[in-house]
Amino acid sequence: MSTHPGPRARLAGGLLLWYAVLGGAIAWAVHLIAGWSVDELTCAGGSERVGALPLRTAIGLAVVLPALATVGALLAAALLWRRTARTPQGVEPERRVGRSRMLAVVGIWLNLLFLTIIVLGGVALIVLPPCQR
Amino acid sequence: MNARGGIAAATSTEALTTEQPVGRSAGWWGMVMFVATEATLFACLIGSYFYLRFQHGGPWPPDGLTAPTLARPLLMTAVLLPSSLPVVWAERGIRRGQRWRLRTGLAVTLVLGVTFLILVATEYAEKLREFTITTNAYGSLFYVITGFHGFHVLVGLTMISWLLVASLRRGTFGAHRHDRVRNAAIYWHFVDVVWAAILFTIYLSPRLS
Amino acid sequence: MSTTAASTPGASREDLARLEERWAERPSLRSWFSTVDHKRIGRRYLVTAALFFVLAGLSALAMRTQLARPESRLLSPQEYNQLFTMHGTAMIFLFATPMLFGFGNFLVPLMIGSRDMAFPKLNAFGYWVFLFAGLFMWASLPFGAAPNGGWFAYVPLTEERNTPGLHMDVYTLGLLFLGIATTAASINFIVTSLKLRAPGMSLNRVPLFVWAIVATAFMVIFALPALNVDNAMLFLDRRFGTHFFDPEHGGNVLLWQHLFWIFGHPDVYIIVMPALGIVSAVLPAFTRRGVVGYALVVFAMASIAIISFGVWVHHMFATGLPPLSYGFFSAASTIITIPSGIQIFAWLATMLLGRLVLKVPLLFVIGFIVTFVLGGFTGAMFALTAFDQQVTDSYFVVAHFHYVLIGGALFPILAAVYYWLPKITGRMYHEKLGRWAFWLFFTGMHLTFFPMHLYGLFGMPRRVYTYPDEPGWGGWNLVSTAGSYLLAIGLLLVLIGVIHAVRRGRPAPPDPWGGDSLEWSTDSPPKPYNFPVLPQVHSLHPTWDDASRTSMTEGATDDRILARGRQTLVTSELDGRRERTVEMPEASLQPLLLALALLVFFTALLFAWYPVAVGAALVVASTIAVWLWPPRRPDQELGVSA
Repeated sequence: MSTHPGPRARLAGGLLLWYAVLGGAIAWAVHLIAGWSVDELTCAGGSERVGALPLRTAIGLAVVLPALATVGALLAAALLWRRTARTPQGVEPERRVGRSRMLAVVGIWLNLLFLTIIVLGGVALIVLPPCQR
Repeated sequence: MNARGGIAAATSTEALTTEQPVGRSAGWWGMVMFVATEATLFACLIGSYFYLRFQHGGPWPPDGLTAPTLARPLLMTAVLLPSSLPVVWAERGIRRGQRWRLRTGLAVTLVLGVTFLILVATEYAEKLREFTITTNAYGSLFYVITGFHGFHVLVGLTMISWLLVASLRRGTFGAHRHDRVRNAAIYWHFVDVVWAAILFTIYLSPRLS
Repeated sequence: MSTTAASTPGASREDLARLEERWAERPSLRSWFSTVDHKRIGRRYLVTAALFFVLAGLSALAMRTQLARPESRLLSPQEYNQLFTMHGTAMIFLFATPMLFGFGNFLVPLMIGSRDMAFPKLNAFGYWVFLFAGLFMWASLPFGAAPNGGWFAYVPLTEERNTPGLHMDVYTLGLLFLGIATTAASINFIVTSLKLRAPGMSLNRVPLFVWAIVATAFMVIFALPALNVDNAMLFLDRRFGTHFFDPEHGGNVLLWQHLFWIFGHPDVYIIVMPALGIVSAVLPAFTRRGVVGYALVVFAMASIAIISFGVWVHHMFATGLPPLSYGFFSAASTIITIPSGIQIFAWLATMLLGRLVLKVPLLFVIGFIVTFVLGGFTGAMFALTAFDQQVTDSYFVVAHFHYVLIGGALFPILAAVYYWLPKITGRMYHEKLGRWAFWLFFTGMHLTFFPMHLYGLFGMPRRVYTYPDEPGWGGWNLVSTAGSYLLAIGLLLVLIGVIHAVRRGRPAPPDPWGGDSLEWSTDSPPKPYNFPVLPQVHSLHPTWDDASRTSMTEGATDDRILARGRQTLVTSELDGRRERTVEMPEASLQPLLLALALLVFFTALLFAWYPVAVGAALVVASTIAVWLWPPRRPDQELGVSA
């Protein structure tokens, strides 16, 4: 790693860090709002289809896609954690790595936690019929 | 730079530990947080609209009211959404120290904003003949949501005129001091974006389904 | 003058004199009203919140006295309704959050090594609004017009036709008014912690208490609007005949509950989280080591702050959602216990691995853990739906949430009172008196609330002004009442301890406990400019590490003394790299004026004097316009080309 990354790579790297930290949280929020409102609205409308999709498939998408996004964030956090294991040569401030490393730890745990919640939501989808009252 | 090289560079330790966000002023953060809480306020109002609508069942708008017509709201959109552009132009101007651009841009936005409010008034004049805020929950939602947004436009316009008056004096804004311009601009953009959400909620969504 | 300088100052005598001149406020009536010093404002928050606590506590004592025996007629049902509503509302909105924000106000700038908050005038404004909103709500009680619909004010009970009179208008307007203060303070905390940290304080070196305050502030930013919208709708329904909650005209009563709990569940954590931050701040000093698992505790706070927004539906068990939607929420409700548990285990591990110094603050921390865990245990019992439906609206619920809130908020607050009293007042408290206060309070608390579990299970409903002599009710109620007096005596001893310390206590050294965060690196009480030399931070425990300490003494540099103006340092958001110096605002009467105008506005709305309200709104707008008016500078300095 002798060459310094350019400004665009730096921007991408900085954003990747936030995806690693907060990706799971955002994915979970999307999952919750999408899953809840689709289920609620469709059932209230008395049908079991969303457009061309069966309701169960639609809600399934609201589980699977956020789960995949969370796995991605988890991988990014793991990468961040590996890349901050030691201070690279020639880069001055050790604390910059320390800060990112802490965020990596926080990110790994956050993503694991949100992945668990989303997966539990998926279990609920498998067990429960979507429109039972 | 090829794609693989780009990914390698972006995932290097140095890129990953880049500080982002960085270098914003306290005022910027303050305004962004204020807008965040205001946006949540509008989200709650719009959420309430859809909640009441879908819990109500039956036709919407209820009680035989007709779905709102689109001509005037679209005109209002055409007036309000572009009004952000002169603000951007004015802000870029004052960053280079060009006071005339600040004044001109703000004046244009002021005219557009006032036009919007006049259109809101004519819209109300027409709607009030059909239903009022006490007619039913739909009427309450319609007037409270649009009225609350109109109030925000009024606040934004007060900010803009305040900036305009301040900028007419010498020694207020320049290339090294334009925090207030930028903060008011953030607020104005927010008021614009919220209008798009309201247009969808109040005017377009009753026509879906 | 006290001679307890922190250590050999790194700033010269002239620099200190200049700092004193720039920052000190001469004691005068005007400066009392115009101050923007975060330490004075923080102290005021603490005293005012304590005053509202006393009022809410006396309301509770009145209720307990009424309930001591069956068929008591001391209070009328109307009075009782107002008392329990004001008790809950004031404890939650006027005591817990403002008290914790008071500690935040005093401590956050000290802990991050800054000279004030990011927006000092906004800070002063927030305090005045809090004071006025609190008085606005309490003032209704002597007139018999206080809120009377319970602290969560469910519709349709609180609609105009069911609760006529001003009662619920006081509630809605008072909370809307207060919301301005809470929001302003939250924005200020976030921006202060992002931009004003001492150089070198990257995110991994931020004290856990500051993390807790920031997480709380973020929750306020996104949760409070739901309550505000709710209250605004209720006010419009009651006053102007809208139909948001009126099912006969297309409204829906459940909308109130949804919005209320979208706010209400995060609010549980808004109350508890800063208190948990206090625990994380107190423990290092009395276990002689840092809190175990710093990153994990930060993770726990972040995840609680986020997940708390996704669990509100569990307050509405019996409202008929499809079980699948409920499943999405209950997944979150189950998982949110994990980060809470992580924090508890991190503290236990800290106590296990450290050397315990059993002073009064640590006693209260231990009292917190015991009580809070018991509250959590009964909370888990509610997860059994059958049990929940059996005990809902009985005294079992009252017992549960008092264990959670007294355990989760009051114990840590009292720990904080003793822990930071030397820093705030410059005086030490009386240790023995403190121990008496702890044991009386602890015993009284459990004596009051533990029996409530029992007579709750025996079927006694909550929120009734009196009760018939059912088997098992009368005796246990008498025990509760006796306990509540014991609890009150314990709290009275806390108050006496504070007054004794202020008047007679021996002078406190800068660092009486050997604490780890930056507030212990400066005088007790701190000078108006907090730090003669702003620190350069080298670790998570700057007061324990030589490099950080030296940066304030021998290692002092001019660019961290900043004696040429009323200045502090702005650093970068994540890494705390030095960016620039900024000029801080001077004392001003504008915050008070603005808050007064708002008081007039809300009072006018309450009494339907709408022209006055419009006038007050105009005063508000023009005050803000003057407040923000840009000062004149020469064109070259501004950089103007045309």
